[in-house]
Amino acid sequence: MENARMKFYCDESRCIECDGCSIACAEAHELPAGIARRKVITIHEGIPGKEVSTSIACMHCTDAPCEQVCPVDCFYIREDGVVLHDKEKCIGCGYCLYACPFGAPQFPREGIFGSKGAMDKCTMCAGGPLATNSHHEFELYGQNRIAEGKVPVCAAMCSTKALLVGDAESVSNVIRARVAARGGKGFNSYGWDKAYKNQ
Amino acid sequence: NPAVNHPVGFGHILKAKERNNAKIIVIDPRFTKSAAKADYFAQIRPGTDIPFVYGMLHIIFKNGWEDKKYIEDRVYGMDEIRAEAAKWTPQVVADVTGVSAETLMEITTVYAKNSPGTLLWAMGLTQHTIGTGNTRIAPILQMALGYMGKAGGGTNILRGHDNVQGATDMGCLSDTLPGYYGLVEGSWKYYARMWGVEYDYIKSQFKDASWMGKPGFTLARWWAGVLAGKPGEDAIENAGTNLKALVVMGCGITSTSQNLKIQQGLDNLELLVIADPFVNEAAILTNRKDNLFILPSATQFESSGTVSATNRSAQWRYKVVEPLYESKADQDIMFELAKRLGFYEEYTRSMMMRLKSDGHLEMTPDKKTFQWPEDATIEISRTLRTIGMMGWTPERIKKHTDNWHMFDEITGAGKGDMKGEYYGLPWPCWSVKHGGTPNLYNVDVPVSEGGMGFRNNFGLEKDGVSLLSGKGSAPIGSKVDGGYPEITKENIEKLIGRTLSAAEKDLCGANWKTCTSGKLVDLALEAGLTPYGNAKARAVVWNFPDRIPLHREPLYSPRPDLVEKYPTYADKANHFRVTTKYATIQKEKDYTKEFPIVMTTGRLVTMMGAGLENRASKYICALTPEMFCDIHPELAQKNGIKNGHMMWVHSPAGTKIKVKAKYSYTVLPGMVFLPFHFGGFMQGVDMTGNFPAGTKPYASGECANTVVSYGYDIITQIPASKAGLCRVEKA
Amino acid sequence: MRKYIYTLIALLGFATVAFGAADSQIWGEMRIQNILGYGQEESLKLGAWFTFLQSKYFAWVFLGVLIGVPTVFFLHYKIVGQKVFPHSHNKHYAFNLFHRTIHQVAAVSFMVIIPTGFIIVFGDFFGGGTLVRMAKNLHGIFTIPFAIVILPMALMWIKEAIFNLEDIKWFMILGGYLSKKKRIINATQFNAGQKMWYWVCILGGLVMILSGAMMFFMDFKIEMLHNLTGLSHIDMLRASAIIHNVMGFILVAVFFTHIYMAAVAIKGAIHSIITGYVEEEEVKFLHNAWYKKLKEKGKF
Ligand SMILES: Nc1nc2c(c(=O)[nH]1)N[C@H]1C(S)=C(S)[C@@H](COP(=O)(O)OP(=O)(O)OC[C@H]3O[C@@H](n4cnc5c(=O)[nH]c(N)nc54)[C@H](O)[C@@H]3O)O[C@H]1N2
Ligand SMILES: Nc1nc2c(c(=O)[nH]1)N[C@H]1C(S)=C(S)[C@@H](COP(=O)(O)OP(=O)(O)OC[C@H]3O[C@@H](n4cnc5c(=O)[nH]c(N)nc54)[C@H](O)[C@@H]3O)O[C@H]1N2
Ligand code: HEM
Ligand code: HEM
Ligand code: SF4
Ligand code: SF4
Ligand code: SF4
Ligand code: SF4
Ligand code: SF4
Ligand SMILES: [Mo]
Repeated sequence: MENARMKFYCDESRCIECDGCSIACAEAHELPAGIARRKVITIHEGIPGKEVSTSIACMHCTDAPCEQVCPVDCFYIREDGVVLHDKEKCIGCGYCLYACPFGAPQFPREGIFGSKGAMDKCTMCAGGPLATNSHHEFELYGQNRIAEGKVPVCAAMCSTKALLVGDAESVSNVIRARVAARGGKGFNSYGWDKAYKNQ
Repeated sequence: NPAVNHPVGFGHILKAKERNNAKIIVIDPRFTKSAAKADYFAQIRPGTDIPFVYGMLHIIFKNGWEDKKYIEDRVYGMDEIRAEAAKWTPQVVADVTGVSAETLMEITTVYAKNSPGTLLWAMGLTQHTIGTGNTRIAPILQMALGYMGKAGGGTNILRGHDNVQGATDMGCLSDTLPGYYGLVEGSWKYYARMWGVEYDYIKSQFKDASWMGKPGFTLARWWAGVLAGKPGEDAIENAGTNLKALVVMGCGITSTSQNLKIQQGLDNLELLVIADPFVNEAAILTNRKDNLFILPSATQFESSGTVSATNRSAQWRYKVVEPLYESKADQDIMFELAKRLGFYEEYTRSMMMRLKSDGHLEMTPDKKTFQWPEDATIEISRTLRTIGMMGWTPERIKKHTDNWHMFDEITGAGKGDMKGEYYGLPWPCWSVKHGGTPNLYNVDVPVSEGGMGFRNNFGLEKDGVSLLSGKGSAPIGSKVDGGYPEITKENIEKLIGRTLSAAEKDLCGANWKTCTSGKLVDLALEAGLTPYGNAKARAVVWNFPDRIPLHREPLYSPRPDLVEKYPTYADKANHFRVTTKYATIQKEKDYTKEFPIVMTTGRLVTMMGAGLENRASKYICALTPEMFCDIHPELAQKNGIKNGHMMWVHSPAGTKIKVKAKYSYTVLPGMVFLPFHFGGFMQGVDMTGNFPAGTKPYASGECANTVVSYGYDIITQIPASKAGLCRVEKA
Repeated sequence: MRKYIYTLIALLGFATVAFGAADSQIWGEMRIQNILGYGQEESLKLGAWFTFLQSKYFAWVFLGVLIGVPTVFFLHYKIVGQKVFPHSHNKHYAFNLFHRTIHQVAAVSFMVIIPTGFIIVFGDFFGGGTLVRMAKNLHGIFTIPFAIVILPMALMWIKEAIFNLEDIKWFMILGGYLSKKKRIINATQFNAGQKMWYWVCILGGLVMILSGAMMFFMDFKIEMLHNLTGLSHIDMLRASAIIHNVMGFILVAVFFTHIYMAAVAIKGAIHSIITGYVEEEEVKFLHNAWYKKLKEKGKF
């Protein structure tokens, strides 16, 4: 099943910090204000030769650290490598955020004490453990586009096709073709090694 | 800055870089997102593109890198350019533009040595007093290198809104009729015929016939028409009356310069009508209490019709939902207006008519009502001949849109069923059988496949030099090898080399532009001729104030020492009906003492135009929640301005805005950048209380245009919003 | 008091507003530092450490403490047994109402904080969801009364809690608790063990409150703290989580001891927290130095 493993790749040679991906995600899943499952970051802005932009969400890591630390064990990892969690089990403790190398998990404030509500993160547009494409699933996890045979909305919307998502092999093929066209240069996606341990 | 303003289009540029090893060169006063992806970057002082390009031409001519044959055959007046270029040595260019001689040399070399190069631009060139000069020098560079009319070359002016090209083609301008037909009697008569009304009827709508030939006001200066006569205001020539009523339809009011004047203009109108899906800030900024009407317009999703992209190709936009609530589509608002004003019947008549084969219109038998927008599209295609819209029937455009996957991603060429056509039938699309013109002025393909020379539009010769192009420069398969004038009934037989039958002759109109039977165009195409002729492109425009593009310092120049050498124009009376100041302002004083900082304005990727639509989105507002000013930390610290703290930006016009300081290395320490997408505040005053309950956007703020000062292009009157001066101060 | 409640609400309100907004210390601009800081050569690699410790050790150590410490005391109870001092002699009114209230509030808080802490730690055992979420909320809520009393408590007992030379001797024999014999121990009002508890519960308590508060507020901006620690925001949270757990082991272990001592080891000692009276016999044997002083003042 190695081939069917889903991965994200953000091609830094292409990403232009247009934020199309993050807005598309927020709109599609009707996220509460303040939750940004996907975030576009730019470092060394304005410095010629050094400025780099990339788009980061949950990377759906191999050996997902978040899954390892969750005290209520609410994560589950699909066969295709998509890392999901059960919001009804989650207690909003924040541990997954501490474990995550990408700052992916986020928390809405809830109730009068303003304590952290159930964690929210990128689902790779694959919904959650509830009945597929049910209203309840949408409310908690947003669209389940994977079940509908659609591409995750962020990558679909990416203006420059910097953001790639798909099974490891097809993503690798696209990258390989691009890198070859660039004369062997330009394999760069922040977090790729970290998340997938070079697999 | 296409990475920000045309993100999807920018993908093509990235692919060119990736697949063809294309070198990307960015010339911008700021280190933009486009610059971040470029191979070469020149940080130019705003308003000095003409010197920069002359600097390139200087090097090109010096090294003999120009395309001599191309210039000889296809360009008129390059010698004058050559003479001017000789003055712009790299050292002079460096002094004026701020770009080092080495960088200029490096960029010129790579650009001249990699044929063809394509030149992209948008507002960085146009929004200057010398904007027209800028947009002329760019194609001149392309012609010097022979890059014009080549696939992969040419000039790509990345137009703004999705249908700006279409809007321009439809004549949303005060100095042309639709399709760029001039304001002359012949055109009016042609239009009278095509609209199915009497010429005298149209004439009767004007004060007198002389006004039919005079350009109207522009969007940039409508308020001058309202305020004229008040102390300090520019004089107008508007038949002795001021503007009294304003209808704002689909334009953010804060998007033109001198917002304080706009506010005063709004306040002094007798009637203000706004048609917009959102509550346009025109209703908010004004202090008026009555005679202000807000009509809810439907959006693009609630109406249908064609839109034209920046490459002159059309797409059909289908309606997604019926207009919601009591909103109405724009055309329905116009129809209602026409009814109330009593010319609905004349306004819509030609949509009830059809074209006979002899080129005359008749009422369509048994037609009870017209079908929107198909009948309008048909009207356009049979009327707008100058730019070749004859092939744009609703059926064809819909078919293209429905089959977009059948076209090649790079060339736009159709496959299978769509073979022989280019996506969206880029105009000129000479007839219903023509497949469109993917690249303008390309003589390497026959006219029937999209080939063409330069347009013959300015006579046959000038000062004894022929304006027709040279031998061997006609599109492939042409009956005439070389230049020829535009096709007329007069010259057609000679050009195609055969005599026409009487019946054929009968079908011909006087010239191809008014020949509504299409006979002249058909005959031309048969013979491989471009209907508009095959002429030289003009590097010299003898009827413009500047025969060739000349550098002129901005009105508010940061270099008083250069003003004397490169002064601006003399004041221009009756410039779109308004006296427009140039020298008077530039000479008034040395502004740099009080306003030492260069200021430029522009766009953010998250927002569009005046920003009303975007500021109504909570997700977008989370990304850009408030108005700010990009300021280099060095400049900020010198003025005691902390990152994230408020600051004042003062303009030489005496206006000011209070904005948040955002430290940024994208600008140089002597310069600031302001986005112009915010509104609702005026010089520190929050006007958002004027929004009707529930309509206030998630984000409001000062508008950059409050501090964009006087200054308009000499030909088009576009506001000079790219090169200004300001003073910054801690708030 | 009302002012404080308002301040607290305002503070929570602020946290709500700031959450996830552009100026968020986790997901805003700072996200870059947070991400880039992860696992860098010169960094403390707290993310990896936290993941490692939390996934492999914390729950087991807590389980060890939860079972181990009571087992030790159970054995002590079986082998050494309870010390019983007569309650018929004189009593001394050692803890006034103020003392007692403070102490009781702390006690009640702990009785909630610790079990709920365990429920969170073994959240998977409890199946997550509502129960554990409630535990988490209670854990946070009961931190508030504890946080209110911890300073008064620290002040009211600090005099007695300063260590002196005698305490070394006490430690040598572990206060005599390992033998059944009643020996006279020369301690002041608090013996070395109690002093130790004092310091653990005060300093440790503060550490728990602060590290807990960091995790609760999560997204806040205290520039001083960033400058002081030089850590990225999220690394501070990771450090808090590690410290909270490690300190938790110690606190729980020592707290269990405290309960055992108070409720079991010395029969009836627990009354002092309720009534305020200590028994003459107890004081005489276990806190002889104090006893002498009280005697001098004629308190018995
Ligand atoms: N996201 C977004 N996209 C848009 C729009 C929008 O509002 N938002 N608007 C659309 C519209 S209507 C238009 S017209 C286009 C405009 O598209 P652009 O023209 O690309 O947009 P601007 O940001 O106005 O200006 C472009 C650049 O010109 C630079 N510049 C300023 N002065 C000079 C100069 O003197 N010389 C040179 N070489 N550069 C200079 C500025 O620094 C800026 O980076 O964008 C369209 N696309
Ligand atoms: N300082 C500075 N100023 C500038 C520029 C700059 O670079 N610097 N750029 C200039 C340029 S190039 C441009 S094009 C302008 C753009 O500025 P505007 O023309 O003001 O552009 P938008 O904000 O897109 O305005 C569109 C308005 O139309 C409304 N609208 C949307 N759809 C419909 C519809 O179907 N029907 C109707 N009736 N209304 C609709 C929207 O709600 C919005 O209010 O700004 C100009 N102003
Ligand atoms: C069920 C809970 C508790 C019980 C039954 C209990 C009981 C006692 C008793 C009997 C004493 C001895 C008083 C004396 O004879 O000198 C005592 C002392 C003390 N208690 Fe507690 N206590 C409890 C919880 C707490 C908590 C939560 C704290 C602090 C966080 C605390 C801090 C102290 C301190 C500092 C002393 C004084 C030193 C000492 O005697 O150890 N106690 N407690
Ligand atoms: C003085 C003692 C303690 C105090 C004041 C304290 C306080 C807190 C606070 C305020 C939080 C944050 C709650 C939130 O984020 O909603 C917290 C979290 C936590 N505490 Fe404690 N705690 C104490 C002891 C313990 C102990 C003894 C344990 C373990 C047995 C424990 C386990 C945890 C865990 C696992 C969390 C993280 C989960 C969460 O945030 O809810 N705590 N603590
Ligand atoms: S990116 Fe973070 S949240 Fe996503 S799988 Fe990896 S550790 Fe878990
Ligand atoms: S916040 Fe939720 S998902 Fe994350 S570790 Fe805690 S319980 Fe698990
Ligand atoms: S995959 Fe879906 S959920 Fe994840 S960031 Fe993209 S759009 Fe959002
Ligand atoms: S949409 Fe694509 S190019 Fe734009 S920010 Fe996201 S990843 Fe980058
Ligand atoms: S927002 Fe602009 S660039 Fe993006 S898809 Fe729409 S038109 Fe194209
Ligand atoms: Mo525009």
